[in-house]
Amino acid sequence: MSRKLYRSVPVLLIFVIAGIGYLTMGLSGQTGSAGYIPNVKNGDWIAVTGDNTGARYSPLSQITAENFNKLEVAWRFKTDNLGTKPEFKLEGTPLVIRGMMYATAGTRRDVVALRADTGELVWVHTEFEGQRAVNSPRQLSGRGLSYWTDGREERIIYVTTGYKMIELDAKTGNRIPAFGKDGYLDLKVGLVTGSGQQIDLESGEAGLHSAPLVLKDSIVVGVAFKEGMTVKTHNNTKGQARAFDVRTGKLLWAFNTIPQGREFGAETWENGTAAVNGNTGIWTQITADEELGLVYLPVETPSSDFYGGHRPGNNLFAESLVAVDAKTGQRKWHYQIVHHPVWDHDLSSAPLIADVTIDGRPRKIVALPTKQSYLFVFDRATGEPIWKIDESPVPQSDVPGEKTSPTQPIPSKPPAYARTFVKVPDDIIDFTAELRAQGMTNLERVKWANSPYVPYVVGNDRILGALNIGNTAGGTNWPGAAYDPELKMFFSQAGNSSLTLGTLRTPPEGFSDIRYVSGREGTEFRVSEGPGYGSAADYPEPPRGGAPAGPAAATGPRGGGRGAAPAAAPNAAPAGNPLQVDGLSLVKPPYGVVSAIDLAKGELKWIVPHGDTPDVVRNHPKVGPVLADYLKKNNLPSTGQGGSVGVVVTKTLVIAGDPAVTTTPDHPRGAMLRAYDKMTGKLVGAVFMPAPQSGNPMTYSVNGRQYIVVAISGGNYSGEYIAFRLPASELPPTAAGRP
Amino acid sequence: MKLRVLSAAILVLTVAGVCISALQTTRSVRDGVFTEDQRKRGAELVAQRCAACHGADLNGGEEAPALYGANFMANWNGLTVGDLAERIRISMPPTDPDINNAQQRADMISVILSVNGYPSGTKDLESRTELLKQIKIEPRQ
Ligand code: HEC
Repeated sequence: MSRKLYRSVPVLLIFVIAGIGYLTMGLSGQTGSAGYIPNVKNGDWIAVTGDNTGARYSPLSQITAENFNKLEVAWRFKTDNLGTKPEFKLEGTPLVIRGMMYATAGTRRDVVALRADTGELVWVHTEFEGQRAVNSPRQLSGRGLSYWTDGREERIIYVTTGYKMIELDAKTGNRIPAFGKDGYLDLKVGLVTGSGQQIDLESGEAGLHSAPLVLKDSIVVGVAFKEGMTVKTHNNTKGQARAFDVRTGKLLWAFNTIPQGREFGAETWENGTAAVNGNTGIWTQITADEELGLVYLPVETPSSDFYGGHRPGNNLFAESLVAVDAKTGQRKWHYQIVHHPVWDHDLSSAPLIADVTIDGRPRKIVALPTKQSYLFVFDRATGEPIWKIDESPVPQSDVPGEKTSPTQPIPSKPPAYARTFVKVPDDIIDFTAELRAQGMTNLERVKWANSPYVPYVVGNDRILGALNIGNTAGGTNWPGAAYDPELKMFFSQAGNSSLTLGTLRTPPEGFSDIRYVSGREGTEFRVSEGPGYGSAADYPEPPRGGAPAGPAAATGPRGGGRGAAPAAAPNAAPAGNPLQVDGLSLVKPPYGVVSAIDLAKGELKWIVPHGDTPDVVRNHPKVGPVLADYLKKNNLPSTGQGGSVGVVVTKTLVIAGDPAVTTTPDHPRGAMLRAYDKMTGKLVGAVFMPAPQSGNPMTYSVNGRQYIVVAISGGNYSGEYIAFRLPASELPPTAAGRP
Repeated sequence: MKLRVLSAAILVLTVAGVCISALQTTRSVRDGVFTEDQRKRGAELVAQRCAACHGADLNGGEEAPALYGANFMANWNGLTVGDLAERIRISMPPTDPDINNAQQRADMISVILSVNGYPSGTKDLESRTELLKQIKIEPRQ
C-alpha cells in the first residue's frame, strides 16, 4: 500500500531542534536534563491519574483557599481543527513532564505537544485509519495518553480510535520505528470471540478510551466494546488485559477476563457458556503497586449489560477487581463486586493505592470507587476486605430465563459516599407536597425496592421499568476519584440523581441471538448504538435523500429515516417519563455531591452538594418561589448538579468543575471550577469557565508557577483545554516566574 | 465648550448604543418566532436526519441527548437562536453536517423550539445566522 497512513506535523520543529537547549533549560527549572525521572512532587503529572497509584494528587501549594478566586486564564487550546469537525465531548487529562504538555484531542484523536506555560503548539501527531476507526466502538478524542522514559529517551504511548497502540518520540511526535511494526501494534491481533476465533482486524469489535498503564518497561492495556443495550449477539469479542514490552512491543502476557478452557473461574459460566459469551472488557484506568509487583484490573460487564440468561452463574471476572502479577499476568486474587452482573455496574474507576494505618496496623490497601457509590477497600496484597463486606440478600429477577444472584456484596464500612438506591418515599422530590404526590404517582408504573440491585423487568404499558440509580452513569463513572496520601483521605464527586428505568423486551425476529434486549414490549423496536455512534472523523456520508431501511422492523441510527414525525409537545416533560416530575428529577436534591472519606477510620468525613442549582430548578414556576426556604430548611447551599465529573487534590484543596452551565444572579452564563477545603468540605473559591468540565482537572508547575488545566466542552461550546494560574501580581516575591 | 461637545458625543453614543442593544435584544423565543407550517416542514427533516439519534420526539436516546428539558435548556439559556443554528451547522448530524442548508436548519430549529414549549407565530424563522443571533433563548414563562 503506497498511501501514507500517518503523518506527523512537526509544527515548529525547526524551532524545537534549534531550541531544545533553551527549552529544557527554560522549562525544566527543577533539575538538570540528563537522567531526569519525572515525579509528581516536582510538579509533573505523569499519568492520567497523576501517577500509577490512581491518586490524582499533587503536593503543589501555590494555589490556596486564599487566592483561588484570583486565578486567571493563562491560555486556551481549542481542539476544533483536529479531525474533520469540532468535538463537543473533550474528555482528556493531559500529562506534563518538565514543562511540556501532551494530550489527546479532536475527533480523530490526535496527539498534541504544547508548551505547558503558554499553550503553544509544538507538534501534532495524526493517524489516518479510515474505515477501521469508523468501525470503532470508542470514538472521539479519548481520555488521555501515557509517558515512558528511561531517563534518556522519552516516549508518548496512546491507543488510537481504531485500537492500535502507538509509540511516539516525545520530542518530535514521530513514531518510534523499533516499537512493534514501524511504531505501532495492532491490538486487535489476539482478541477472540467464542472459544478462540481471532476477530477481524478491520471490522472486529474493539476500542479504548483510557490510557495504557506504563509500568517500568512494560505497558499494560485493556479493551472496550460496543454498548450492551441492543446487542446482535452475546458471543462478541472477549476481554483481555495484556502487557507488552515498551521497547519492542513484544507481548509479555495476556489475562483472560472470561476464563478459557479450564482456567480458574471457568465453572462460574455454567453449562460451558464461557465459550459463547463476550465483552467483560477493561475500559477504565488500570493502576499498580510497583513494589508488590501487582497490577489492579477493574473489569466491566459481560454481554449483555442487562440480560444474563445466556450465561448462568456468577461470571468471573465480570465486575471484579483482579490483582495480577505484573511480570506474568497470573491472577493473585480477585473480588467480584457484583455477581452475575445485569445492571451495567462496570468497574468504572481507577483503583486507588494507599498506605494507611487502620486500627493501629499499617495496611497496604486498594480502594475501589464504584458506580454504586460504595468504596470497596481491600488489603492489596491478599484481597482480604479491610472492613467486613456482607453478602446481602437482594430482590430476584422474574424475567424468563434470568437467574440473578441471591446475594450481593455490601460493604459494612465506609458508608456509601452518595445515593446507592432511591429510598421511597424519603428520596422522592419534595420541593412541595404537590410535587411529592406527583412523584409517588409516577412510581405506580415503576418497579422499585429499597435496594441498590432492583432487577430489570420485561416492560409494558403498565410497568415501564425498574428504578435504579447510578448503574449506567454513576455514582462515580470513568472520571474516578482521588486519594490524599498525606491526610489518608479519599475524595470523590458523585452523581446523586442518575436514574435509570430498566426494561427489557424481545428483539424482532432475526435481529439477535439474545432473548431480551433493552426496550419495552409493544413499542417500536429501536437499535441503540451507544454514544459516539456516527461521530468518527471519517464517517462515510450516507447517500443523499435517505439511507436504505434497516433490518426487519428495526429502526435506529443505521436505519436512517424513522417514519413518525415529532409532534409539538406543549409540555416539555414527555407524558409518560416517570423519572421526571414536571420537568424535574424524580429524586430530591442534592443532585450531585463531593464527598470525603477518612480511610484510617472508614468514616464519611463530609459530603456537600456540588454545582449551582440548575436553571430549570431555579426558574421553575412551582419551585422558584419556595427554593430559598427549601434550601435553608435542608441546610443546603444549592441543589448541586447531576453527572459524574472528576476531582484533583492539591496540598490543601479538592478541585472540581460544574457538570452543567447555569446563569445565576451571581455569575453570567457558565460553569464554575470550584475549590473545597479538604478538611471541612467548605467551598473556598470558584472561578468562571465558559463551559462545563468534561475532562478531569490536573495540576502542574512550570518555572515556579502552579497551573490547573481542565478539558471543557458541551452544549454550544466545542472542546478546549483551559489553563488557569495566578497572575504575577499575586505571586510571592520569591517565585521564579515573577517578571 | 470642549466639555459640551464631549457630553453631546457621549449622549449620541449612548442613544445609539441603546438603539443597537434594543434592536439586538428585542426578540425572544417567547415571542412566536416561527410558524406552524414551518414546524411541519422541519418535522419531516428532523424525522429523517436527527430522530435516529435524538429520538422520535427529540426525547434523547443512548446515542444523543434530548433536545429539550433541563439539560438542553441549561446549555442554551442566555444564548441566541443563531448560536443554536451555528452549533447544528458545524456538527449535526455528526455523520454528515453538510447535508442541511440554512433554510432547513431554521425549519428544524422551529421543531426544537416547539418541543421546548415555545409558541408559534405568524412569520417564519429567518435562515440567516446574523438575524437569528438577535433572538434570545430564555426560559419559558
Ligand atoms: C449520529 C447521531 C446523531 C444524529 C443523527 C444527530 N445528532 Fe445531534 N447530537 C448527537 C450527539 C452524540 C450529541 C452530543 C455530543 C455532541 O455534542 O457532539 C448531539 C448534540 C446535539 C445538540 C446539542 C445538544 C445540547 O444539549 O446542547 C444539538 C442542538 C443537536 N445535536 C442537534 C441535532 C440536529 C438538529 C440533528 C439533525 C439534523 C442531529 N442533532 C442529528 C448525535 C446525533
